[in-house]
Formats: sequence, structure tokens, C-alpha cells
Amino acid sequence: MSALGGPAQTSGVQSPTGMGLIVSIILIIVALALAFFLVQMAGLLALVGIIIGGVLVGFGVHFVPVGGAPAAMGQAPGIATGVAMLAAGAGLAGLFGGAWAAPLGFPLALAGGAIGGGLLMAITCTMVNVVYIFGMGIPAASGKVDKDPITGDTFPEYKSQGTEGHGLPFISWVGGVVGGALGGLGGTLIYLELLNVYQAQMPALFGASVEQIAPIAVSLAGVFAIGMFLMNAVLAAYNITGTIEGPHDPKFKRFPRAIIAAAAASAVAGIFAIGLLELLGVF
Amino acid sequence: MEEIIFGIGITALAGALATIAGAAEDTESDIGSQGDPNSQVQLAPQMGYIHRIFNKAIAGEPPAYGLWVALGAGLAWAFMAMQINPILAIVLGSALAVFVQGVYATTAYLGRTASLAKFEQPVYIDILKSMTTVTMAHAFVAIFAAVAMCHLIISALGHPFPLPLLGLVWGIALGAAGSATGNPFYGKERQYQEQKFGAGVPISASGNIVRYAEAGERNSLDNGFFSAKLGGPASGICFGLIVFFELWRTVVFEPIAAGWGAVIVGVVVILIFAIIDRYIEVWARKTFGPYVAPEEASS
Repeated sequence: MSALGGPAQTSGVQSPTGMGLIVSIILIIVALALAFFLVQMAGLLALVGIIIGGVLVGFGVHFVPVGGAPAAMGQAPGIATGVAMLAAGAGLAGLFGGAWAAPLGFPLALAGGAIGGGLLMAITCTMVNVVYIFGMGIPAASGKVDKDPITGDTFPEYKSQGTEGHGLPFISWVGGVVGGALGGLGGTLIYLELLNVYQAQMPALFGASVEQIAPIAVSLAGVFAIGMFLMNAVLAAYNITGTIEGPHDPKFKRFPRAIIAAAAASAVAGIFAIGLLELLGVF
Repeated sequence: MEEIIFGIGITALAGALATIAGAAEDTESDIGSQGDPNSQVQLAPQMGYIHRIFNKAIAGEPPAYGLWVALGAGLAWAFMAMQINPILAIVLGSALAVFVQGVYATTAYLGRTASLAKFEQPVYIDILKSMTTVTMAHAFVAIFAAVAMCHLIISALGHPFPLPLLGLVWGIALGAAGSATGNPFYGKERQYQEQKFGAGVPISASGNIVRYAEAGERNSLDNGFFSAKLGGPASGICFGLIVFFELWRTVVFEPIAAGWGAVIVGVVVILIFAIIDRYIEVWARKTFGPYVAPEEASS
């Protein structure tokens, strides 16, 4: 189970433990201090950005409706794949868009990343319903709520016997798009922060111009962003334990624990990413 | 203007390549039972249902395709750096990546199936010989199309990521789109073909997958034949639309409003898909109506 503790395999709210909170806060403070020590104020701000990015990814994963193996048999609602995998697909598509828009400025890159992730989820969720409806003849039905909070559709009469529901109700569709957008936003934020740090440090370290080091800086920032994205998505998946229908699922209320875990993990991983070149300089 | 028309052409070509990649990816994963329905293939012998279905699910589709496409892209990138023609480089890179996929499929089938020895599930060598090459062929199509698409995005549209990194990004997205769209069709409609159409599989029926074909025992080639009819093409359309809209909104609308045009068009496209989704959801509720229990228990 998670290092933050808490009871296992129960639905609904699972609050972080006191010990988990204290350890996480200490880790974050130590990482911030190290960032300031290594790269001064720019490093500190970059690490804050990375922590926010990681938290957005961890929080966003909770919105994504994932049904796993039961969804593949129409036994549970959601998308028939793993939590971390789907979120990674969406977030990385967002990172693709965000990195492309990076030269146009910070806000535009972030917006591009969010839209890229949201677009992937919008198309995927729609195609899931296309297959369920036109390939399998199954209308959507939630197993966790009797009524869709957005459209007001009722579900119990549409649910097949012996299942927990099936397909993607509209609330899950919206959750998927919001989750994809948050993931894309977080991933792009991590990428941009790291890119700024590398573009500032590398020319002096290698004695080259900004243009010359651009391919290395982009690659390094991209690899670290993907790595941190996967780390936060997997952490959130552990918090969810199995399947989740979206923001209306009782498991969604567990997100505070994932936010703390994502912040601590991003701080620790972020300090390695930021301090990498300083360490190279030392050796 | 010419630049935009060129960009639209590349966008269409990349979208077409992505469609092929998505269709081949889902068919490959269904032949290998790599998506979530693998749980039923693995469960069946434990419930006493011995079968001849291939099962290579030791990784989810997104990380597996992330690996293979990144590998194909990385090798193609290296060959291009050696001044080899890009088309040849992509073919060579994809072919080498497919050998890794073949080794993966072989060891995964042997490992997963051998773990069921105590449930008397045999390892069929003829299945290994005939299925592995078919998954490799489909994987080659998927990897080649994905790597070629990434190469187009970089060389013609100027994305800043290097080819291997873009291969990893789009490989994971390819696996995510393919598994999300194609898995229910393979899992419900094929593995549980005996269950009632238009309803989910009751949990009590878990593990009782269809094991017999028109003649003899069903194998994964039959499943590939079935998936290629709807699950594969639907996955292809899903991934093709993702790539197409992602590129199209950037290529055509980025020059408008200092780049915000692409963001606004992205939001509009998301809203259009919201309307389509809601429309088919309501259509299904009206057309199919509420669930009616069958007269006989279906499990």
C-alpha cells in the first residue's frame, strides 16, 4: 500500500494519516531548500511549478473513468483499460501539443497542453460509447449513482442483471475530458519548467549557444516530464485501487491523499531533474 | 498559404497512418489477448475451461506499444543519422522492433500459460508457432505506421521532440486509444459470444469464455478475424481522429489570434464530440429501452 498509510480496499473517503502528512511536508521543504541552494531562486520557482504540475496530474487521474477488465466484458462502467495507462495516453498527447506551442509563450503552451489531453479523451470516450452502442447494443448505465448529475438520466432500469453497470454515462465522459485536460496541463507545466532550467544552465556548462543545446534540452525535459507524469499517474492509480467511474464515484473523495503523495513525489523527483546538470558540473 | 496547404496534406497523411496504426494495434492485441480481456483468458482454466487462446498479456497495451514504437523510432533515427534513406530506415527500425515484440510474445505466452499448469492448461506449441508470427505481422504494420507518422510530424511539421521521444509519446497514446476502444468488443462480443446480445456479461459467467469454433476449437486467429470487423477499425478511427484533430487545429489555426486560434478550435472540437456522445447516448436509451431480463438464466 501507499507510504501514506490508511485503511486498504474500502470505498469512499480515506484521509491521509498524520505521519504521512508530516513526512511529505518535510520532503517537500527539503527539496525546495535544495533547489534554492543548487539553482537559486529560479530553481525554487521551477520546483514549485513541477510540484503544481505533479499535483494536477495526480488530481486529474481521479476524473478519468476507468473500468479495467470488468469494463471489457460490460460488467462495470468506464473505459476498458488501466488508470495509469489511459491517463498517460491523454497527458502525453497534451504534452505533445504543449511542447509544440512552447515558443508561443507560457500561457498558450499550457492551454495547448490542456486542450491536447482533453481532445484525446473526448474522442476516446465518444468512440467507447460508439462501440458499446453500435457494436454491442448496450446503453450506458452507472453502477455508483442512480441519476446522472448532469443530464438527470436514470440508470437502474438500464443496468444489466448481474453487472455493476456498463458504458460511459455523460458524467463519466465529462470526467474523462476534465481529467485529460488536467493531465495535459500538469505534464506541460513540468516540461516547461524543466526546459527553462536546462536552457538557462546548459549554454554555460557546455560552452555552446542556446540554439545548439536546444535538442538536448528539449529531449531531457521531455523525458523527465514523461517520467514524472507516469510516476504521478501510477501513484493516483494506487490511491484509486482498481476502477473509478469519474467525479461522481465515492472513490473520487480520496483525492486529497493522492495530492499530498503527488506533491511529495514530484518534489523529490523534481530536485533530481533540476539538480542533474549541477551534479554533472561537479563531476 | 502554400505552407498551410502543405501542412493540411501532411496532417491528412499522418491521420491516415494513425488510422492504420490503430486498426493494426487493436487486431494485434486481440490476437494476443493483450488487452483487459486477458483476465478472462487467464481465468478460464482456473474455472475448468481449458482453451487454445493465445495470451501474451504481461504488460498493458500502452506501455508495450510505447516500448515498441520508441524502439522502432530510435533505431530509425539512428539509421537516418547514418545517412540511410528515411523510408528504408523506418522499415529497418520497425522490423527490428518487431523482433523484440516477437520475443516478448513468445516468452509472455510461455510464462503466462505455464503458470496455469496446476489447472491442467497445456502449452500448445502449434499455437505458439502459428499465432506469434501473426501478431508480429500486425505489430509491424502498427509500428511502421506510427513511426512514419512521427517522422512526418517532425520533418514536415517541425515538432521539437526528437523521433524516439515522439515515438514513446504516440506509442503510449496509440496503446491507450486502441485498448480503450477495442477491448469491450473483443471482451464482451467475442469471448462471451454465447451471452445475450445487448447486455453486459453477468459476473457469475466470468471465465466461461467461448472455446469452440465452427469446426474444432477456437483459437486466436478466429478472434483476430472477428476483431478486424469492428473493434480494429473503430480503434483506428479513434486514433486517426486524435492525431488528425491534434495536428489540424495546430497547423491551420495557430496563425490566428497569436496562437489562441488553435486552442479555441480545440475547445470547439471537444464540444462537438460532447454533442455527438450525448446524442448517441440518448439514441441508445430510446432505441434499446430499459434492460429486460431473459426468460432463461444466461450464464
